[in-house]
Amino acid sequence: MFKQFTENIQGNQVYLLFSLGIFLVFFIIVTVLLLRLKKSHVDHMSAIPLNDNEGEVLNTQLP
Amino acid sequence: MEPEKFYYDNKIVRNFGIATIVWGIIGMTVGLIAAIQLFHPAANMGNQYTTFGRIRPLHTNAVIFAFVGNAIFMGVYYSLQRLLKARMFSTALSQIHFWGWQLIIVSAVITLPLGLTTSHEYAELEWPIDIAITLIWVVFGVNMFGTIFKRRERHLYVAIWFYIATFVTIAVLHIVNSFELPVSPFKSYMVYAGVQDALVQWWYGHNAVAFFLTTPYLGMMYYFLPKMANRPIYSYKLSILHFWALIFIYIWAGPHHLLYTTLPGWAQSLGVAFSIMLIAPSWGGMINGLLTLRGAWDKVREDVVLKFMVVGLTAYGMATFEGPMLSLKQVNSIAHFSDWIVAHVHVGALGWNGFLTFAILYWLMPRMYKTELYSKKLASFHFWIGTLGILFYAIPMYWAGFTQGLMLKEFTPEGILKYPNFLQTTLLIIPMHIMRSVGGAMYLLGVIVMAYNLFKTMRQGKLVANEPAQAMALEPVHTIEREKAWHRRLERKPIQLMVAALVVILIGTVIELMPTLTISSNVPTIASVKPYTPLELQGRDIYIREGCSNCHSQTVRPFRSETERYGEYSKAGEFVYDHPFLWGSKRTGPDLAREGQKYGNAWHYNHMMDPRVMSQGSIMPNYDWLISQKLDTASTPAKIRAMQTLGVPYPAGYDKIANRELDKQAKDIADNLAKDKIKVQSNKEIIAVIAYLQRLGVDIKATKTTNK
Repeated sequence: MFKQFTENIQGNQVYLLFSLGIFLVFFIIVTVLLLRLKKSHVDHMSAIPLNDNEGEVLNTQLP
Repeated sequence: MEPEKFYYDNKIVRNFGIATIVWGIIGMTVGLIAAIQLFHPAANMGNQYTTFGRIRPLHTNAVIFAFVGNAIFMGVYYSLQRLLKARMFSTALSQIHFWGWQLIIVSAVITLPLGLTTSHEYAELEWPIDIAITLIWVVFGVNMFGTIFKRRERHLYVAIWFYIATFVTIAVLHIVNSFELPVSPFKSYMVYAGVQDALVQWWYGHNAVAFFLTTPYLGMMYYFLPKMANRPIYSYKLSILHFWALIFIYIWAGPHHLLYTTLPGWAQSLGVAFSIMLIAPSWGGMINGLLTLRGAWDKVREDVVLKFMVVGLTAYGMATFEGPMLSLKQVNSIAHFSDWIVAHVHVGALGWNGFLTFAILYWLMPRMYKTELYSKKLASFHFWIGTLGILFYAIPMYWAGFTQGLMLKEFTPEGILKYPNFLQTTLLIIPMHIMRSVGGAMYLLGVIVMAYNLFKTMRQGKLVANEPAQAMALEPVHTIEREKAWHRRLERKPIQLMVAALVVILIGTVIELMPTLTISSNVPTIASVKPYTPLELQGRDIYIREGCSNCHSQTVRPFRSETERYGEYSKAGEFVYDHPFLWGSKRTGPDLAREGQKYGNAWHYNHMMDPRVMSQGSIMPNYDWLISQKLDTASTPAKIRAMQTLGVPYPAGYDKIANRELDKQAKDIADNLAKDKIKVQSNKEIIAVIAYLQRLGVDIKATKTTNK
């Protein structure tokens, strides 16, 4: 089914493969960085928008 | 350690909020007037300043940069302060930013109807305004980074990365797409020509959608949706992956606006491939938003703000699924140039940008005024009329686009075009255009109701201009433990984050733009293609002024249906003297790339005076002012010199004799018209326009005759 789409790709395939390659490398790097994040940090980050209630000291200053 | 006391600046947020409402109503009203003209041309009020070609750019600029732009600044100024636990860096800069931006919009409202335009879509404003935009954008950047530097929250929440990426990418896009050579205070020529200009324009155009209509709104979604639902974002890790993947991939997708044109094939293929990949991060963002509401769907039933968010996110999902589909060549061959694209962008603009803006306004204003929303019923009415308005807008446009796209491609069994006259297809879809304007009017009505509702809300409350808050100051970094996780370190380094985002968007930019801009084999020249004569050049500038390219393309795609209808398909070498390119992006009328010598001068004269005399039922407006207005020939020498600077091979000293040649050619055309009993002086604008139209595509026909 997808053959008709790929067959339509003309021109320099090197550009295409090279670009896909760059993206793949980039994507893997980001994924690895993400997997190395600690859960406590992720929880802290995702709570930032929520802890701005009036009258409270806003930031918790986790290291 | 004692917590520090400080105040959030709510006044600037409120001001941007009011601006977005006011400009939203104006921009959408202009859009409605433009839409009505497409089935009732007399709705231009017989006035050149309110005719479709001039107000369509006004509509797009007003909704993108005035409505959405002010909404972005409203959302950023509110959320940035709270995410960083700091007041904006400088109240003065905030004010300069606000008033500077409004001044730029006012200048657009004045110059675009006057026909002062570069003709680059969504970048029509002329060079002095481009400079003003740059300056105000820098003010915004300084204010944002100043706030980031004095923050009391060490790590930057993901919304802020989206804001940073928006700032840096829009700066790059605006600068690269604004390389113009000024000819006079309000006229310039693009430095790039033809194919190269088209590539730069659609790299810009596509990424303006990405980094003005999408990334800042995603940032706002990541802040406001958790606030509205009172629960953290579904997955913070997904938001990071979403961010990097989105900004990396988006920048490559621009060439899908130029499929089947003379852009090198490899660049088109790259555009298609990355467009399809774009589904992943786009849907990642949408799913992250929708799943944030998991376990809170009961709130959606009651809370109109969340209703707007859910429909907005769904519209985002639909538009970002449709975009990649439209970039498939098979789909594109039917959909491109048709109303389908109009439907597509409006699902995004009305659904995603519009509904998110409304949700944020309904949520913000009562909070900043320490009161309740004046009427929940009216807000609910707004939600329903807005949603119905989108449907009434989009469905007829899909229908129209699909119908017309297929009709234009249809052949009879004998192998000739079934609808050889373009107008036949136009007349058939007029009911859809009427329905679309009803949809647009419904949507606009909703916005007016919202304006009333929010006005009443403001009246019953009192603005907390400076909202008190307190937070601990940041400890110096050297006292805290060195962070091991690399990305976590990046999250507290705004400049490095900006540089990283810049590098990511430059990768795609360089690989895609550079070969076409620098390697001449990507744009093969054609010997018989010559520069325009001075009269044709002036005619071309009138064509630009009137915004003809808003409805007429100038590029014949290599399909049998198009070569049969218009003539030989376009070649890259035909456009090498076109500063700017005028391929257009929509065919409300037929393509004009091969218009030259198709009809006589008299036909064009009569057609311009009243298109319905020559083509019954035509929806093109009358251009009778071209017949009464005198051509400004004083500008000719400067224009010729500018073209020479850009590399157009006019002989040395040609600027001095250009007007003599212009007069001669004009007189020939006037004499020719006189034979058909049309009395017109040779110094009128119509003569220049006829000269230009008669030149279109003629050079390539000349090659054929010499080859024979």
